[in-house]
Amino acid sequence: MTDILRIRDLEVEFITPHMRTKAVDKVSFRIGAQQTVALVGESGSGKTTISQAIMGILPRSARIAGGSIIFADPKKPGTRVDIAMLSANSAEMRAIRGGSISMIFQEPMSSLSPIHTVGDQICEAVRLHQKVGTREARDLAREMLELVGFPNTKSALRTYPFELSGGLRQRAMIAMALVCRPALLVADEPTTALDVTIQAQTLRLIKDLQKSLKMSVLLITHDLGVVANMADHMVVVYNGRVVESGKTDDIFINPGHAYTRSLLQAVPHFDMEPGERLKPLREIKPRIDGLLTLVDKFDRKMARLEQHATNGRHIDDEAVNGDDKRGGDSAIAQRHPDPDNAAIASAMESPKPRLSTGVRGEAVLAVSHLTKSFPVRKSGWFGMDERRIEAVCDVSLTVGRGECVGLVGESGCGKTTLSKLIMRAMAPDSGSILFRGESGQMTELVGLDEDRLAPYRKRIQFVFQDPFSSLNPRMTVQDLISEPMLIHGVGTSAYRRKMVLELMEVVGLDPRFLNRYPHSFSGGQRQRIGIARALCLRPDLLILDEPTSALDVSVQAQILNLLKDLQRDLNLTYLFISHNLAVIDYMADRIAVMCAGRIVESAPRASLFRSPAHPYTQALLNAVPYADLDHPLDFSKIIDGKCSDPAAWPAPFTVDRSVNPSMVQLAEDHFVRMTRPDYQEIAV
Amino acid sequence: MLTFLAKRLLVMIPTLFMISVLVFIVIQLPPGDFLTTYMNELKAQGEAVDPAKIAFLRAQYGLDEPLYMQYVHWAWGLLHGNLGFSFEYNMPVTDVVGDRLWLSMVLNFSTILFIYLVSFPIGIYSATRQYSWGDYGITLLGFLGLAMPNFLFALVLLYYANVVFGTSIGGLMDPEFINAGWSLPKIMSVIEHLWAPVLVIGTSGTASMIRRLRANLLDELGKQYVVTARAKGLSPMKVLFKYPLRMSLNPFIADIGNILPQVVSGSVLVSVVMSLPTTGPMLLSALQSQDMYLAGSFLMFLALLTVVGMFVSDLLLAWLDPRIRLQGSISE
Repeated sequence: MTDILRIRDLEVEFITPHMRTKAVDKVSFRIGAQQTVALVGESGSGKTTISQAIMGILPRSARIAGGSIIFADPKKPGTRVDIAMLSANSAEMRAIRGGSISMIFQEPMSSLSPIHTVGDQICEAVRLHQKVGTREARDLAREMLELVGFPNTKSALRTYPFELSGGLRQRAMIAMALVCRPALLVADEPTTALDVTIQAQTLRLIKDLQKSLKMSVLLITHDLGVVANMADHMVVVYNGRVVESGKTDDIFINPGHAYTRSLLQAVPHFDMEPGERLKPLREIKPRIDGLLTLVDKFDRKMARLEQHATNGRHIDDEAVNGDDKRGGDSAIAQRHPDPDNAAIASAMESPKPRLSTGVRGEAVLAVSHLTKSFPVRKSGWFGMDERRIEAVCDVSLTVGRGECVGLVGESGCGKTTLSKLIMRAMAPDSGSILFRGESGQMTELVGLDEDRLAPYRKRIQFVFQDPFSSLNPRMTVQDLISEPMLIHGVGTSAYRRKMVLELMEVVGLDPRFLNRYPHSFSGGQRQRIGIARALCLRPDLLILDEPTSALDVSVQAQILNLLKDLQRDLNLTYLFISHNLAVIDYMADRIAVMCAGRIVESAPRASLFRSPAHPYTQALLNAVPYADLDHPLDFSKIIDGKCSDPAAWPAPFTVDRSVNPSMVQLAEDHFVRMTRPDYQEIAV
Repeated sequence: MLTFLAKRLLVMIPTLFMISVLVFIVIQLPPGDFLTTYMNELKAQGEAVDPAKIAFLRAQYGLDEPLYMQYVHWAWGLLHGNLGFSFEYNMPVTDVVGDRLWLSMVLNFSTILFIYLVSFPIGIYSATRQYSWGDYGITLLGFLGLAMPNFLFALVLLYYANVVFGTSIGGLMDPEFINAGWSLPKIMSVIEHLWAPVLVIGTSGTASMIRRLRANLLDELGKQYVVTARAKGLSPMKVLFKYPLRMSLNPFIADIGNILPQVVSGSVLVSVVMSLPTTGPMLLSALQSQDMYLAGSFLMFLALLTVVGMFVSDLLLAWLDPRIRLQGSISE
C-alpha cells in the first residue's frame, strides 16, 4: 500500500507584530491509500493548523517554516508534489485544492454561502476542476447529491443552505467536497456541531463514500468515540507536537504516552463503576469549609425551625392555593397526591432539626403538564396565517433535593425552552411549576408577578452553555461573581467580598485573579467563574444548560468532577441539560429523554441505559459512538431520516394529530410515553 | 413575492399621507403666516401697509380658511400635480422650482455615483490589505475627508481655483446660459461645472463609505464560507467577488433610502457657498419667509425620495438575498 500523503517535520509559525509562535512543531505522519487517519487533540493543539497547511489555506499571519508535505496523487501515478513548497494561490495548488484534496468543515451552516443555491456552489466546484459544460456539471452535482442521500436531488439543487436541516447541510457540504472525486478528504470536526443521531448517519455516510470513491480520509476530531469507530490510524497532537501515533487498536488498548492515557480516561463512558471518577489532566480540589457551608447550614437550620413552628399552616395554605390555581385540574391533583406533602409530613415526624441542608429526597421542583407554544408567522395572500409550534408540550418532571436530574435531547427538542420556563424567563401557556422556596413550602410559580417571583429567582440559578458569551467582558471577576448578590441586595459589602473569595476557592481559582477580566481566562476557567456566580446566592436548584459542551474533554472532566464534588459537599440540586448521553450518564441520578417538546421516557440512570423502551431513546443510544473498541457503532441499526419525528414512531409510541399518548409507568420510576389503554395516566 | 410587492406599495400610501400632514403642521407651527412676515418686512422698510390689501391677499391665498381646509386644498392639489402658489415669487411653485429640481437631481445622482465609484475599489483594497501602508494612507485621507466641513472645502477649492487657475468654479453653468433654454452647449457647460460640487459634496460621503465597506468586508472575510470557497480551489479574486463582497453589499443597498435625502439636504450649505442653482438654498429661504406651498413642496419631495428610496432598497434586498426573499415561507 502506497502513501498518499507524507508529512515530515512540518513546522508552522504564526507571526504577529510582537512575537512568533510555533503552532505546529516537527509534525510527521503519513496517510496510506484508502486509509482513515485521525488527528486527535484538544483545542489549540494545532490540529486544524496542520489541516490548513495541507490545504494551503493557512491564515495570512501563518507560514510554513519548515518540513515537507509530499502528496502523491493516485490519479497521476508517479508524480509527487511538495505542498509545503507551493505558493498557496498558485494555479498548481488551486488544482490540488478542491480537486485532489477536499475539505469539509465543522459548521455546515456557516461553511456554505447562504446566498447561493446548493446547486450553484456544487457546480462551481465541478467546473473549477473539470472541463465540463453547465448541463454536465449539473448532472454530476445531482449524481453526487444522490450519493450522499438527498431525497429529491432536482429540487435540492435549487435550495439555499438555510432551507435545509443541519444534517442535510452537512450532506450538501460533503457532496460539494467529493464531487471532484478527491484522493484525500480532510474532515475538520465534521460531526461536532451535529446531533448524535445525525452524527451517526454522517459518519456512516463518510465511511460508505470512502469505500465507493476509494479515497483516504484525514479526520480531525477531539471525540475519541468518533476515532474508535472511524480511524485505522491515529495521531495524537498536543501543543503542536505529535505525542503518539500508530494503529488505533494499539493506542486504545495500550496508550503509550501519558497525555493519550489521560485523554482516554477523561472521556465519560457508559460502563463506569458506581463511584468511578473521570481523571482530568488537572484535578480541582474544591475547598469547602468556610462561609458558604456554615452560613448555609445555619440559614437552613433557622428556616427549618421556623417551618416547624408554622408547619400546619403552610400545608393548609398550600391546599387552598393549589385548588385555587389549578381549578379544574384539582381532580388530577387528588389522584396523584403531591409528593411534597408526604415529604413535609415526614419532616414533621422527625422532631430534631436537620443539620444537612434540607431533607434529602423531598421535591424541590415539580413541573407538571407544562406547555408552551410559539407563533410561526407565514404570510399568505391575505394577512398573516398564524400557526403555532409547540416547543414544550405536556412536560412533567420532579427534581428532588440533592438529586441530579438529567435532561437529554437533541437540538430543537425544547430543553432550553423548558429551562427558561422553569426560570420563568418566559411564561408557560399552561401547566404548573411548583417550587420549594426558602420557607420550605411548595409554591406555584406560574402566574406570579415579577415582584412576587423575586425571592424565588434567588433560589434557582443558571449555568450557561457558552462560557465566552455568558460573562460580561467589561466586568472583573469580582464584579461578575458578586453581581447576583448586589441585584438581590444580599449581605453587606464585606460579606459579599468574603463570599466571592470563598467561591473562588470553591471552584479552584486563585483569589488573586479577582481583578482580572474574563478574556484572560480559558474556557474551563470561565465556566468555573460562571458556576461560582450561580452559587453565590446559595440556590436550591441549579440549572446547568450544556455546561461542558463548549469545552475540551479534559476540561469537561474537570468541570464535571467539580460539579459532582460541589453537589456532594453542598447538597446541591441539579437539573442537568445535555445532548451528550455519556455526560448525562456520568452526572445524573435520573434521566428524562426529551424529543419534539415532549418527555418520551424517564427512568433512573441504570434502567434507562439497560432497558430503553422508547424507540427514540433506543435510536439515541444506538447512535452514540463509544470511545471503546469493543463497542463499535452498529451502522446497520442507524436509520436514515429523522428518528426525532413523533409521527414516524411505531405504533404504541406514535404521536400525531389523532393520537396523543401520555406517560405510562413501566417499572418503578420508569415512565414512557405511549398509548396503553390498560394503564391509567400517571404523573411523573 | 407579488404579495410582498403589493403590500409594500400599499404601505407607502399611508406613510406619505402621514408625512404630508406632519409637513403641513410643521410649516404652520411658527406664529403667523407669510403675510405677517411680509407685513413686518414692509413696516421695517417704513412703507405703509394697506389693511384692505392684506385682507384681500389673505382671502386670495386662502389663508383665512381654517387649517384643515388649507391642508385639504394643498393635498388635493398635490394629488393632481398642482404644487400650489409661491407667495414670495408670485408664481406657481412648479415654475419657481423649474430647472432647479432637475439640476439638483443631476448633481445629487452624480454625487452618489461618484461616491460608489470611488469608494468601492478603495474600500476593497483597504479591506484586503488590512494594516498595510496603503490601508493606513487611505484611512488617514478618509478621516481628513470626514473631518473637514464641506463648505470649508468648497471655499478652499473656490479660492485656489481663482488664484491658481484664474477661473471661477461657482455655479453649475457659465453665466450666459443661466436664463437660456436647454441646448447642447448648455449641457456641456453643466458637465464642466459639475465636478467641483460633486467633489466637494462627495468627499465626506466617500470617506464614510470607504470606512463602512472596509469594516463590512473585514467581517465577511473572516467567515467560514470564505475558507470553504478557498478550499474549493477558487482564485482569490473570484472568491472575493463572488462571496464576501456580495454579502457585504446588503448594508449599502439598505442605505439607498437614507442616502438620497441625506445628499439632498447635506448639499444646502455647499450650494449657498458655491451659488449652485439647486433646491437647497431655495428651501432654506422658503422656510424663513414661511412661503408655505414652496417649502411644503420641497419637503414632500424629500419625503417622496426617502420613501421611494426605501422601497427600491427593499426590492433590491429581496432580489439579492434569498434569505430575505424566502425566510418567511420556510420557518415552519
